[in-house]
Amino acid sequence: MASRIGVERLSPLEPVYRSGSHGRFEDGVEVALSEIRPGSIVQVTAWPGEEQSAAAAIRAVTGLNMPDGPGGGVVASDQHAFGIAPGKFIVTVESEGLVAALVNAIPPAMGAVTDLSHGRTIIRIEGPKAEWVLAKFFAIDFALPAFPLGAGRSTSHHDIFAQIQRTGADRFDICVFRSFARSFWKALCHASAEVGYEVQ
Amino acid sequence: MLITCPYCGARDVSEFTYQGDGNRQRPAPNSQDLDAWNDYVYDRLNPAGDHNEIWQHSGGCRTHIRVVRNTLTHEISAVQPVRPETKPSPVKPAGRRGARP
Amino acid sequence: MTSRRTETGGRIDRFRTIRFTFDGASYTGHPGDTLASALLASGVSLFGRSFKYHRPRGVLTAGVDEPNALVTVLRGDVREPNVPATMVEIHDGLVAESQNRFPSLSWDIGALNQLAGKLISAGFYYKTFMGPVIGPLQGTRFWMFCEHFIRRAAGLGRAGKAPDTARYENMNAFCDVLVVGSGPAGLMAARTAAEAGKRVILAELDPVLGGSANWSGETIGEVPAADWAAEAIRDLQEFDSVRLLPRTTVWGYYDGNSLVALERVGDHKERFATDEPRHRQWTIRAGSVVLATGALERPLVFPGNDRPGVMLASAAKRYANEFGVLPGDKVAVFTNNDTAYGAALALKNAGARTVLIVDVRADVSADMRAIANELEAELLTGHAVVATEGGKALSGVTVQPFQAATGTASGEARNIHADGLLVSGGWSPAIHLASQAGARPEWDDGLQAFLPPQPTRKWTGAGAFNGAFSTAESIAQGVAAGMAVSGGGGQRFEPPAVVTVAGDPKPAPVLEIRADGKSFVDFQHDVTADDVRLAHREGFVSVEHLKRYTTLGMATDQGKTSNVPGLAIMAAALGKSIPEVGTTRFRPPFAGVSLGSLAAERFGDLRPERLTPMHDWHVEHGATMYSAGLWHRPQIYGDPGETIEQAYVRETRATRGSAGIVDVSTLGKIAVQGPDAAEFLDRVYTNMFSTLPVGKARYGLMLREDGIAFDDGTTWRLGERDFLMTTTTANAGKVMQHLEYFLDVIWPDLKVAVTSVTDQWAGAAIGGPNARKILQSVVTGTPVDDTALPFMGIVHGEIDGVPVMICRLSFSGEMAFEVYCGADWGTHVWEALMQAGKPYGLVPYGLEALGTMRIEKGHVTGAEIDGRTTARDLHLGWMLSKKKPFIGSAMMDREGLIASDRLQLVGIVALDNRPLSGGAHIVEELHEGNPHGSIGYLTACCYSPSLGKYIALALLEGGKARHGKRAFVSDPLRKRFGPVEIVSHHFFDPEGTRMHG
Repeated sequence: MASRIGVERLSPLEPVYRSGSHGRFEDGVEVALSEIRPGSIVQVTAWPGEEQSAAAAIRAVTGLNMPDGPGGGVVASDQHAFGIAPGKFIVTVESEGLVAALVNAIPPAMGAVTDLSHGRTIIRIEGPKAEWVLAKFFAIDFALPAFPLGAGRSTSHHDIFAQIQRTGADRFDICVFRSFARSFWKALCHASAEVGYEVQ
Repeated sequence: MLITCPYCGARDVSEFTYQGDGNRQRPAPNSQDLDAWNDYVYDRLNPAGDHNEIWQHSGGCRTHIRVVRNTLTHEISAVQPVRPETKPSPVKPAGRRGARP
Repeated sequence: MTSRRTETGGRIDRFRTIRFTFDGASYTGHPGDTLASALLASGVSLFGRSFKYHRPRGVLTAGVDEPNALVTVLRGDVREPNVPATMVEIHDGLVAESQNRFPSLSWDIGALNQLAGKLISAGFYYKTFMGPVIGPLQGTRFWMFCEHFIRRAAGLGRAGKAPDTARYENMNAFCDVLVVGSGPAGLMAARTAAEAGKRVILAELDPVLGGSANWSGETIGEVPAADWAAEAIRDLQEFDSVRLLPRTTVWGYYDGNSLVALERVGDHKERFATDEPRHRQWTIRAGSVVLATGALERPLVFPGNDRPGVMLASAAKRYANEFGVLPGDKVAVFTNNDTAYGAALALKNAGARTVLIVDVRADVSADMRAIANELEAELLTGHAVVATEGGKALSGVTVQPFQAATGTASGEARNIHADGLLVSGGWSPAIHLASQAGARPEWDDGLQAFLPPQPTRKWTGAGAFNGAFSTAESIAQGVAAGMAVSGGGGQRFEPPAVVTVAGDPKPAPVLEIRADGKSFVDFQHDVTADDVRLAHREGFVSVEHLKRYTTLGMATDQGKTSNVPGLAIMAAALGKSIPEVGTTRFRPPFAGVSLGSLAAERFGDLRPERLTPMHDWHVEHGATMYSAGLWHRPQIYGDPGETIEQAYVRETRATRGSAGIVDVSTLGKIAVQGPDAAEFLDRVYTNMFSTLPVGKARYGLMLREDGIAFDDGTTWRLGERDFLMTTTTANAGKVMQHLEYFLDVIWPDLKVAVTSVTDQWAGAAIGGPNARKILQSVVTGTPVDDTALPFMGIVHGEIDGVPVMICRLSFSGEMAFEVYCGADWGTHVWEALMQAGKPYGLVPYGLEALGTMRIEKGHVTGAEIDGRTTARDLHLGWMLSKKKPFIGSAMMDREGLIASDRLQLVGIVALDNRPLSGGAHIVEELHEGNPHGSIGYLTACCYSPSLGKYIALALLEGGKARHGKRAFVSDPLRKRFGPVEIVSHHFFDPEGTRMHG
C-alpha cells in the first residue's frame, strides 16, 4: 500500500495472502476474507466524564456520529469508529494523518490519542457463513440482534486479542495485534475452508 | 463460569484474570506501618460463601471489576466497575426473534 | 449364521446395501443400521470379551448405555477403541474389531480368568499388589512383573499410535432454549419455544431425530409415531431461529448454563468431506435448558445375566421396530414390570415367538394376562430366571419360583429352551445432566427410580426424564416445558391422541435374584452382586467408597445400567433403603468424548506465533528461529557448517569489532499518556521520571508490592505528557496488567492512559564502534553526533524516506542506538541499515550474541530478575529513590530482604576452560559422589570472545565479598564439575568507555 510517506507499507500477511478461492469452494464460496488497510488506526481515550466531548471531537474530525453506550459504533463508507472499553474508542479512516487531527481536537484535559496505524491489522470476513466461522474462535453472540450493525466487541481467541466491529449485516472487521495477524489469518483461513472461502 | 462485565456483558471466565481479594486496603503510599502493609500484601480472606473479588476483563475491555462471588457455588451476585464513575448500562441486546442460534 | 433380519419393517433403507468388516469378516447391512443391528441381523451374537473375566458378551442395549458390545473402529491406521457398537452407524468400508480377546474372539485364552473368579473379586489388585513381596521373590520387582501381564489381560480396547489426521473443531453457540433429546417431549418443547419466538437448539445423540417415536410402534395423532415425529421435525426446520443438531451428545452441564456437546459430523461417512471436521465440540450458552433425555431401562441381576442373547426388553423392541432385526426366534421374557410385555408384542408383530414370560410379581394385571394370551406365551408369575445356558449364544434359561421376602428362588427348577431373553428391571430417568448441574435426585418408591427434583431457573424437564413414561404425558410435559421456558408464551394446543399398549411402568421392588453363580451388576467392569456384598463386609459403607473400591459404575458407560441395581444391593446389605444410602453425583462426560475434539485446532505448538515486522527477512537470511514465549526471534544467523557457539562468537566479535544489528521489536512497549503520566511513573518506578527532560530516555526499575524486583527497561519522554515505556519481552503483558491494576484500582484519580504499542513499532538496535558512522550515512533530517544525540538522547529523523525515532542506549556495552519506525516499514528500514552497514561489515546478530554481550556487561534479565531477587541483590540499590514512595518501597527494607547472606549477583569464570551451564550450583568444596553445600547457582552462561573464557552470571551467597575467591561448579545431573573463579559481574569494559564513545 502506498502512503503519504512514499514508501510501501508491508502487510504482515504479505507472504500468506493468496488471492483466489480456497477450501471447499466447489459448492460455492460462503465467506470472503480480506485485509482492510486503512491509512490510520487511532485509539482515543477519554478521561472519565469527558466521553461525550471526545465523541464530539471524533465527530468534528471524521463526521462519524458514534452512538452512546458500551460497544456502540458507527460505519461510514471508508471510516469506522466504535467503543472498545469504557471511554476508549478505535477510529479508522482511509487517509493517513488522522492522529494529528485528533491530537488537535482532543486537548490533554479531555483525553489521549494513540496512533496504532502500524500496530493493528484489520481482517475482514464477509458472507453468509461469517458468523459460523467466527463462532469457531470467539465465545460471543454474533447474531444481528445481539451484535448490531456498527457495534464493537472486545474479546480474545486464546492469546490473541481481537476488537471486532460489525460493519455489515454479514460482515465483520477484526482488529488484531500486528504480530499475531499472520497466525490469526492462517487460523481463519483454516476455519473457513469447510465453507469455501475467497481471498480478495 | 460466566462473569457479566459491566461493559461487555456476560463472558466466559477464560476472558478474565483474577486480580485478588477485593477487601484489601492499600496503606497510604508513604506509610511506614509494616503491619498494615503486611495485611495488604499477604493477608487474604478465604470465606466459604460470598467473597469480594477483583477481576480484570483482560481478554476483553481490560477494565477491573468488583465481583461478589460465592466460593461454594460460583454464583456471582454482584458485579460493578472498580472505577465508580464508569457505570455503563450492561449490554442489552434487542429482541432476538429470528436470529439463528 | 442365520439371518435375523425381518422380511419387512424397520426404518432402514432396504434398497441399498452397505458392506463393512468386523474382525476381518465381511458383512452387509443397510443405511439406518448401527454396527450392532447389522451384526445382529447377520446372526452375530458374540461381540466382545468382558473386562476382567473375559466372559463372552453380546449386545445388551440399543443405545448410548451399551456396556458390553464395545468395539474398536479403524480408519486407516487410526484406531478409536471402546466405541459402543450400538452407536456406530455403518458405512461402506467400515472396519471394526472386537476387543479384549486373544488370539480371537471365539477362542480367548484370557477366559481362563473365569476359573480364578473367586480370587479376582473386588479389591483383588489392592489386596494383592500393594503389600510387600514376601517369600523367595522378596526384594525383586515381582509385582511390577505381574502388573505387566495384568494390564495386558484386563482392560478394554487398545489406543493406536498412528497420528490422527482428522480435523476437529470448536464451536460457540448462543440460544434462548437448548432442548436436549428429540423424543416426543423434546420435539414439543422445541416447537412450543420456537413458536414463542425463542432461539432454539435441539440436540439429539442419535442420527435421526424423534427418539422413542422412531421405534415405539405407537400411533400419535392417527399416524404412526415415527411419521408424526418426522412431520414435527419438518415444522421445526421452517424456523430460522431453530438449529437442529442430530448425532450430537450433550455431555457436560457447567456453570452459567454453559453446556458442551459433541457433534459427530463425519463418523458415519465413508470419507470425511474435504475440510470438514470429524467432530465438532459445541459450547452452548443457553438461557434455559429443557432436559428431555428420556429414561434408560435397567437389567435384572441374576446368575448368567451377561450371556450373549440376554437383552433389555426395550432394546429388543427397538431392534425389531427400527432396524427390522429379531434378537431371537424363540424368546423368553424376564421382568419386574409391565413394559416388557409390550416389547414382546412388538417382537411378535415382527415375527418372533415369545414362549415364556417370567414375572417376579406374584400377580399381574388382567391387561398383562391378555397380552400373554395374545402372545400364546406361558406366563409364570412369582418366578425368576436363576440361570442361563449357552456358550457364545443363549440356548436356554432355568426358572424357579421366586420368594419376594428373601429375594431368593427355590423349589422346582425348569429348563426352557429359548434363543433370546428379554429382561426388564424397570426404568431409570436419564438425569445425568441435571445431576451435573447440581440437582439432588429424589427417590421415587413407585417407579423404583431416582427422579430429578423440582426444576430450577436454569433448566426444566419433560417426559421420561421426569418419570413420565407414557408418550401422551411426555407430549403434554414437552408443551408445558416449552411454555415455561418461553415465559408462559406460546399458544396452547390440543395434544394429539396416542394409541399405545396398556401397561403400568411401576416395577416390583426387585432388582436382584439371589442364587448361585455370577450375577453381574456392572457388565463393563465385571462387578458382580457378590463383589458389592464383599465390599460391604469389608467395611465400605459409603456409596462413594463402594463405587471406588468395586469400580462399580466407573467404566466408560459410567454405570448407566448398573447404578440403581448396585445401590439396591448395597442398600439391602446395609439393611437400609435406597434413599438412605443415596446416590453418587453424575459427572461429565455423559458419554465418551474424543480427545481430538477437546484439543480442536490447538495441537502442535498449541500457541499462536508472534512475528516481528522483520521476521521474513531473518528467515530468508538464514536465521535459526527460536521461540521465546509466543515470539519467534533469531537465535543465530548461522553460516553453513557453523555450530551455535561458533555463530554467536562470530556475531559478537563482528559487533564489538565494527558493528552489529539486532531486531528488538519484541521489547514490550507501552504508551503512557496523560496529564498525570510523569507522576504515575514516579510511583511505578523506583527512580524519578518527572525530572526527565523531553527527548531523553532513562533506565527504570520496577518492584512488586512486596519489595522484590519486577521488571526493568528504558522509558522515553516523547512529550510533556507522553512517555514510551519499554519492558522486557517476557514481562510485557504482566507489566501492562500491573499498570492497569494500579490505575483502575489504587489510583483512579490519575488521568493516565496506558496502551500496548509493542506492535506499532519495529525496533532495531545497532551497536559497535562503527554504529554511529553507519547511522550518519543513512539518517537524514537530524544529526546523530554526540551533541545532538548524547547517551540516552532521542532524535527524530528519516531513513530512506521513512520517519524514525532514534534513542542512544546500549545493552551490548557498545556505542549503540535503537532505531524505531512504524512496523509496516520495519523491513524497509532494516534493509536500509544493512545496506549502509555493508562497508563496515555490519552483521545481524541473534539472541545468543545478544545474551553473550549482556553477560559480558553484567546486565540483568529475567534470569536474574526471577521473582526472588531484590534490587540490592542485583547491585541496583542505587536506583531506589529516597525522595518519594514507590510501589514496593515500604516492603523492600524488611529484615529478610536486606540480610547479608542473600544471594547476590556475581560473575563466574571457568578455570578449566570448559563450557558452563545454567542452573549449575557453586560449592566451596567439591564432592562429586555426594554433591552438597551449594552457595548459589549460575543464571546465564556463554563463551566470552572478549575474554576468551567461558563465563557466567551467578547468584551467590555473600556475593561481592567473594570476588577473587575460588570455588567449584557442581552440576551432578550433567556431570560437570570443575574449578571457577568468582569475579565482578562487570566482566567487560566496566568503565563503559566504549558505550560513551
